[in-house]
Amino acid sequence: MTFEISFSGQVQGVGFRPFVFNLAKKHGLKGFVSNNENGVIIQATGCDNLVHQFYQEIILKPPPLALIKDQSIKQIPDFNFDSFKILKSSKSEKLNLPLTPDFAICKDCQSELLDQNNKRFNYPFTTCVNCGPRWSVTKNFPFDRANTTLAEKVMCENCTAEYEAPSNRRFHSQTNTCSDCGFQLCLADTNGEILSTNVSNIFTEIGQVILDGAILALKNTSGFLLCCDARNKEAIQNLRKRKRRPNKPFAILYPSLTLVKEHFKICDEEEQLLGNSVSPVVILSHLKSKNDLLLNHIAPGLKQIGVMLPYTGILKLLSETLQIPLVATSGNIHGSPILSENGVAFGELIGVADFFLVHDLNIFNPQDDSVIKYSSKNKQKIIFRRSRGLAPSYFGFKEKSKKTILALGAHLKSTIAFLPNDHIYVSQYLGNLDHFEVYQRFTKTTSYFLELFEQRPELLLIDAHPAYQSSLFGKELSKKFNSHLIKVQHHIAHFASVLGEHTLFDHDRVLGVVWDGTGFGSDAQIWGGEFFLYENKEIERVGHFEYFNWLAGDKMSLEPRLSLLSLADETMSDLLATKFTNEELKLYHVILKKNQLKTSSVGRLFDAVASLLGICDLNSYVGEAAILLENNIVSLDFDKEEFYPFKKNSKNISPKLIIKSIFKDLQKGISQEKILSKFMFTLAKIIFYMAEKQKVKEIALSGGVFQNASLVDLLIDLKGKEYNLYFNESFSPNDENISFGQMMYALHIEKLGS
Amino acid sequence: MEDRIQLGHGSGGIMTKELLDELIFEAFSNPYLDKKHDGSVVKLNGKMAISTDSFVVSPIFFKGGNIGDLAINGTVNDVAMCGAIPKFLTLSFIIEEGLLMEDFKRIIQSIKQAAALCKVEIITGDTKVVERGKGDKIFINTTGFGPMHSKADISIDRIKEGDKIIINGNIAQHGIAIMSQREGLTFESEIESDTTHLHELVEDLLDAFGEKIKLFRDPTRGGVASVLSEISGETSLGITLKENKLPIDKQVKAVCELLGLDPLYVANEGLFLAIVDPEIESAVLTLLRSKSKGKNSQTIGEFTKDHPHKVVMNSVIGGKRIVTPLLGEQLPRIC
Ligand SMILES: [Fe+3]
Ligand SMILES: [Mg+2]
Ligand SMILES: [Zn+2]
Ligand SMILES: [Zn+2]
Repeated sequence: MTFEISFSGQVQGVGFRPFVFNLAKKHGLKGFVSNNENGVIIQATGCDNLVHQFYQEIILKPPPLALIKDQSIKQIPDFNFDSFKILKSSKSEKLNLPLTPDFAICKDCQSELLDQNNKRFNYPFTTCVNCGPRWSVTKNFPFDRANTTLAEKVMCENCTAEYEAPSNRRFHSQTNTCSDCGFQLCLADTNGEILSTNVSNIFTEIGQVILDGAILALKNTSGFLLCCDARNKEAIQNLRKRKRRPNKPFAILYPSLTLVKEHFKICDEEEQLLGNSVSPVVILSHLKSKNDLLLNHIAPGLKQIGVMLPYTGILKLLSETLQIPLVATSGNIHGSPILSENGVAFGELIGVADFFLVHDLNIFNPQDDSVIKYSSKNKQKIIFRRSRGLAPSYFGFKEKSKKTILALGAHLKSTIAFLPNDHIYVSQYLGNLDHFEVYQRFTKTTSYFLELFEQRPELLLIDAHPAYQSSLFGKELSKKFNSHLIKVQHHIAHFASVLGEHTLFDHDRVLGVVWDGTGFGSDAQIWGGEFFLYENKEIERVGHFEYFNWLAGDKMSLEPRLSLLSLADETMSDLLATKFTNEELKLYHVILKKNQLKTSSVGRLFDAVASLLGICDLNSYVGEAAILLENNIVSLDFDKEEFYPFKKNSKNISPKLIIKSIFKDLQKGISQEKILSKFMFTLAKIIFYMAEKQKVKEIALSGGVFQNASLVDLLIDLKGKEYNLYFNESFSPNDENISFGQMMYALHIEKLGS
Repeated sequence: MEDRIQLGHGSGGIMTKELLDELIFEAFSNPYLDKKHDGSVVKLNGKMAISTDSFVVSPIFFKGGNIGDLAINGTVNDVAMCGAIPKFLTLSFIIEEGLLMEDFKRIIQSIKQAAALCKVEIITGDTKVVERGKGDKIFINTTGFGPMHSKADISIDRIKEGDKIIINGNIAQHGIAIMSQREGLTFESEIESDTTHLHELVEDLLDAFGEKIKLFRDPTRGGVASVLSEISGETSLGITLKENKLPIDKQVKAVCELLGLDPLYVANEGLFLAIVDPEIESAVLTLLRSKSKGKNSQTIGEFTKDHPHKVVMNSVIGGKRIVTPLLGEQLPRIC
């Protein structure tokens, strides 16, 4: 009997065909396996039982990196195959399968890399079916070498033999290369003068210059990194100065898990994350006793820093040679997107890096490192940046849409979401669209998605903010493609992102708590402290923080003291006088009196508290005050559960009352630790108060404020058995989730998919 | 005469006649106006340019000028931007009942002076009075026209890649002067509006360079950013701006920073942008810098094929920033 079996999901570029091939051989089946536009297709001739057993085995124990989303088996007319073969990929229709993300270098490849007797000793581009770049080198689909940037190299005899040997780990490995046929590393100085191309000593040379305090621009397989010795104060200060990044924390590349454990408190979840196929930057708590790391220079004012392990051959060889922690930050300057082309990098980083380690593997989809944190007590996963290893596919989507939908997200942390078929694709973090280069990458990524899937967007979703570059671009696109254009309110999109991630649209009533810095409200004010109710398949705004004056445009987000000024009353004038010049105060008071633009932003309330407590008056990077505030939380006082009053005979929450009460505590000499504890409890009480008032048990939380792990932990501690809390887990709570949320809103609330 | 404008001044009766005779005709007396007809007949040869504008500004008196000279200079400049030499103006007032006669007289005097400096004649006009609360002290409408400069070939279609954008002076003066006075903000030194007439400079440039000048535009409402966005939207080209070349007064810059305002979006009244062939760039700068109204002239950018319809600024802190047209007020975008 002959059967046709198909699998969809993450089944290409993960060693699925060789796995099926070997399994079919084992069962004595004849037929073929092939990639197609929907995933993997198999035709197998054998007895009924045997084929079904084979089918079940694939489902139960697929290759480690595969994620099967859908499968089917059906009998077809008998066919006499003479053997079992892997057939060349076919693509007859439009692409309809998830796109495979990059994978961190596997254990096997790592040991080969360090094994003097192995053919791949010191070969930095060592990969196999279980590891290596995928999305970064993908130009087209299916995932075959010809459709990747590796097509520029032809496999040597040896590599071809591996590629063809069923028992080999590189059987049908599309990214297979070796030092004879593969890519070439090259160390150059800032003039482009080549210093070394010899893999046997190139890392020793690099190691030397790094130990001497140099800054290295290193081309990895997903983009450039800037590296220096994490123990060298001068080198770090140099990097800060040259990158124009005075305080924003850097991530650190550690040579081994052992050393990470010596320097950081680390739980099982974190350990697993550091070494899995994603290998993101994991934000860890530094152990106080370890002073050899220059924490105050790497992450000024913070007790936590981002740590990662070598996830490519290049990083592995570098770390192995040096055995020291290295600063490893995205290779770009001041808000530009991560660099990926040699020529451009030399131009842009000329004043930043002292040496360049480059190679000839082209990066088609550049990605920053993903950044993830677990809340320390309840181990709630919080994504800070979803990029390498996680982008672009989203696996939680089970419905079908008849329409091709493109969602263009927000502005500051831009991403796009695309729904061309049965899958949703959400791009990697693309960056702040104020920057022209980011905008170019944003528009390029959009056209790339449209071309890859050969689809016209029938429906275009944009944020309601009239000046977001993504919204302006959406308007252009809708003209070009004659697509229906819909504006989705920012905070409703945040809410819909959690509803979508946790498939809560079937629930009766869900409270949405959306707290962030800014978003354009439907009353043309700046929202950011919002409560929504999802009921009868509709979303209604049921409450918000009382409006206070927004002043000085984007400057207010950069100067926490301005938030304090806006929320302060007359009693705080002495304190304010220490934070502003007389001239400034006079000026701002005049403006405040006449101000029209108002906000309900909780992000700005955090800013005001940070300024009031003397934690931060001026940000040197976006969100600094909120990060420093969280960092200053020492412990939460569960014995007393004290909190500040938050409403004044009105239905809405009064941020002014909270500030006033904190100020009173401050005057009484109450400690900062205690005040922060009370502030956190206040925020938690507000949420449960609203839930009680709305008689809702299901609470969905989103927005940048929920990157605060202490608040997240506290909410989980306080929810008891009564409430269910839902956080963003596949996406960041910040504006990276807006594109996905817009999509969910269009599908479930506006019902535009049917 | 009464010390305040009254409804009767707009009735068309004796009070109106008195007001016109004693103030307006007296101030602007010329052969056209002296005929006291409903309109005027003028003689013109060849092509001419015409432009109209209504002026509403609060406060009506501000540092560096008032609504009167603003109304003359604004329209004179708009005609000049077409490559024409403004000759005639119409002038209409809508006055709110209760305006101090003293203030009205001051405005008339400013109009008279400005018109004399511009060498334009006011040839017809109108005066209406509205009830208290139905206006804001005084609104002025002017329409200006005049013959085209013989060497002018002003057209947006003639702009080519590489053409330079030259500005004649410091940006953001007018908007900041008006705002600080309206909001009662005080600074170390006074910031003055830059309101002035520009047609003489325009004429000099056209005399010297003719068709090598592709376009003139005055960056009034919405500032330099809005005008440039508009221009690049109408061509197939983009614009590259250099932030470090934008001329701006130190104090104005500091005020903008304090208020979180981007000076690129702040209104100007004494500025024009000249889009010129690159070969005359330095000659244009030399000519402009020799004049008092052009002493701070700078090349601030150029046209490029790289990013059609987009204005992109090389910023002082590094990187390139997208400059969008002004959309309502400056809404915050940062989280
Ligand atoms: Fe947001
Ligand atoms: Mg005008
Ligand atoms: Zn491997
Ligand atoms: Zn090879």
